[in-house]
Amino acid sequence: MGYLDKLLVAGGLVVMTGPLCIGIAAQDYVDLEAERAATAAAATAPADPYGARPAQAYPATSYGVRNAPAANSAGTPAGAPPAPAAPQSSGQNLGNLFYQIQQLQQEVMRLNGMVEEQAHELRMLKEQSLERYVDLDKRLSAGAAAAGSGGSATSAAAPVSSGGMPAAEQRGESEAYRAAYALVRDQQFDQAVQAFRQFLRDYPDGKYAPNAHYWLGELYLVVQPPDLEAARQSFTLLLNQYPDNSKAPDALYKLGKVQFMKGNRAGAREYLDRVISQYGSSNSSAVKLARDFIAENY
Amino acid sequence: MSIALAYGALDARADLTIEITQGVDNPTAIAVVPFAWQGGGAAPLDVAEVIDGDLTRSGQFAPVGRADMLSRPSTEAEVFYRDWRAIDTEYLLIGRVSVTDRMRIDYELFDVLRQTPVFEGFESGPIDEARLLGHRVADAVYEKLTGIRGAFATKLLYVSVTRVPGGKDYYRLTLADSDGARPVVLLESREPILAPAWSPDGRQIAYVSFESSRPAIYRQDLATGQREQLTNFRGLNSSPAWSPDGNTMAMVLSKDGNPDIYLMNMADRQLTRITKHYAIDTEPAWMPDGRSLLFTSDRGGKPQIYRYDLRSGATDRLTFEGNYNARARVAQDGRNVVLVHQQEGKFHIALLDLVTNRLHILTSTELDESPSIAPNGSMVLYATKQADRGILAAVSVDGGVKFRLPAREGDVREPAWSPYLAR
Repeated sequence: MGYLDKLLVAGGLVVMTGPLCIGIAAQDYVDLEAERAATAAAATAPADPYGARPAQAYPATSYGVRNAPAANSAGTPAGAPPAPAAPQSSGQNLGNLFYQIQQLQQEVMRLNGMVEEQAHELRMLKEQSLERYVDLDKRLSAGAAAAGSGGSATSAAAPVSSGGMPAAEQRGESEAYRAAYALVRDQQFDQAVQAFRQFLRDYPDGKYAPNAHYWLGELYLVVQPPDLEAARQSFTLLLNQYPDNSKAPDALYKLGKVQFMKGNRAGAREYLDRVISQYGSSNSSAVKLARDFIAENY
Repeated sequence: MSIALAYGALDARADLTIEITQGVDNPTAIAVVPFAWQGGGAAPLDVAEVIDGDLTRSGQFAPVGRADMLSRPSTEAEVFYRDWRAIDTEYLLIGRVSVTDRMRIDYELFDVLRQTPVFEGFESGPIDEARLLGHRVADAVYEKLTGIRGAFATKLLYVSVTRVPGGKDYYRLTLADSDGARPVVLLESREPILAPAWSPDGRQIAYVSFESSRPAIYRQDLATGQREQLTNFRGLNSSPAWSPDGNTMAMVLSKDGNPDIYLMNMADRQLTRITKHYAIDTEPAWMPDGRSLLFTSDRGGKPQIYRYDLRSGATDRLTFEGNYNARARVAQDGRNVVLVHQQEGKFHIALLDLVTNRLHILTSTELDESPSIAPNGSMVLYATKQADRGILAAVSVDGGVKFRLPAREGDVREPAWSPYLAR
């Protein structure tokens, strides 16, 4: 096909006939012409311009756009003069060595290709995970906005992973949690509030208790009418009981928002500043949300 | 020599004809009314037909057939919008051609739906450049209606091969208008001619010729036909590519062992080797800012496109899809790269977007090669096979518009689309 294939053929010729012309190495170049003539039979594919040609050269005629032939200006061909036929080395060892080098080169090329491809894939994966993170951030933000305006849009925040105080899972706990979470997903917020309250009564120290507190906080903000004080208590409970939980930054941010919704701008600002100062170095999406919120409202 | 000259006179043999194979879904309906001829005798050229053809080929316009035209105005006073609304025309182009010692084309474009003139203009030039003037009018109309600079008044270079059964083939390097018309043979040889390339100002070309029985790179001045041999090294001398400032030529030489990329300073002919790899490095193409070069290399085991940064000397790989990506050419925006991509054993022209790193396959034919992109970045010209004959075909960068330019005789290959040409 393209140029490259022809080159590959030409390059292949150099390699294939290598053992015959080791002696040429000292001359710093490989005499392709000689190779070609030597392998004329192999190279005379009809459409292959790199195929062997008879020694006799036909003159080419050039024209200007007015189509009058122009005299060839002398030019200054910078090439080397034709080299005398190269002496051939008969060293079997050299031949083996050459073969080994050739094998190594091919192996290195193959490995090089793999390294390039893996580096590329790593880069793509990194980009993808960043994209996913940004996407999650956006959705959290949208959920927060919906909650803030008391709208009925579902909060699509990811389920809270347990963190700070690892607790053993109790029998039936995860089923109960999942059932409550399903109600959130189905936007049955009032029932969800009841379910999470019941869940906390049944499993007050359960593995999913921090999650339940968080969801209750969120839910109090979206039920009609919103119950700001209950939300504040849920987020505060989460922070006090599980300060190391992965949802702590989000809870802190939500506390800021609740204060803001209550009209306590100064108190809200305190919470928001705490989010940034305490978790600014972490990857938490709450930090960005807090910054955005401050930028928008202060 | 005399044989070569005799063939040169028969340049119409390399003429290309155009078949449109695929257009956009909702092309703009435009009526190009035959231009009024204000000279004696018959008009030397139907300028409106040239314009009509250009706009049709872009795929973005659906010209109105002359038989459907209810009137044939040539001045604004003669334009009755209802005649054109009746046949669902969106735009109307009229014009007049007059001749003194030069030809002058006056034209006016109207918006039929809004019933207003859009713009008017004129082109003038030597009488034997009538087609070029027509292409320029098409450029102006195209730019006005699409917002993209037109590239009809540009040229194509290509190599045609005439098989001589039982004898040596004829190779011709041919220069033609962007629609394939007015072919002029620039070089004729019984040895292969390859890799034609344009200088950035469009005044010179470079190519590889085997006339000395081995490949050498030549430079040729288009106006005078004067030429000069630039290289004559042992082994490969191939793929000349002028830098955007015209001061440097990238090329592939194998004089130091195996094919690598070199830069030749055009002022003093000094060579700088920029790749040193035992793999094959070939097919250099400049980025429009002149700061880096794309090239094909099999240093990763399979041919892929790499970018070499001239300042830092760093090389990074650009293509990762598939086992074969080669012969890259970069659009003037520095974003779109066209290349040959192999998929399921078939060679297609594909577009690599350097911003999103996505690869889009543009063609559905199987043996596509040598893509060359129009200076306005809208169309890609490439070589392919049709019924075992080499033909040229074109596809828009979004893959939506396709047409073929089959030669009336022989094989055509290695097209190179010129840059914008100075007036």
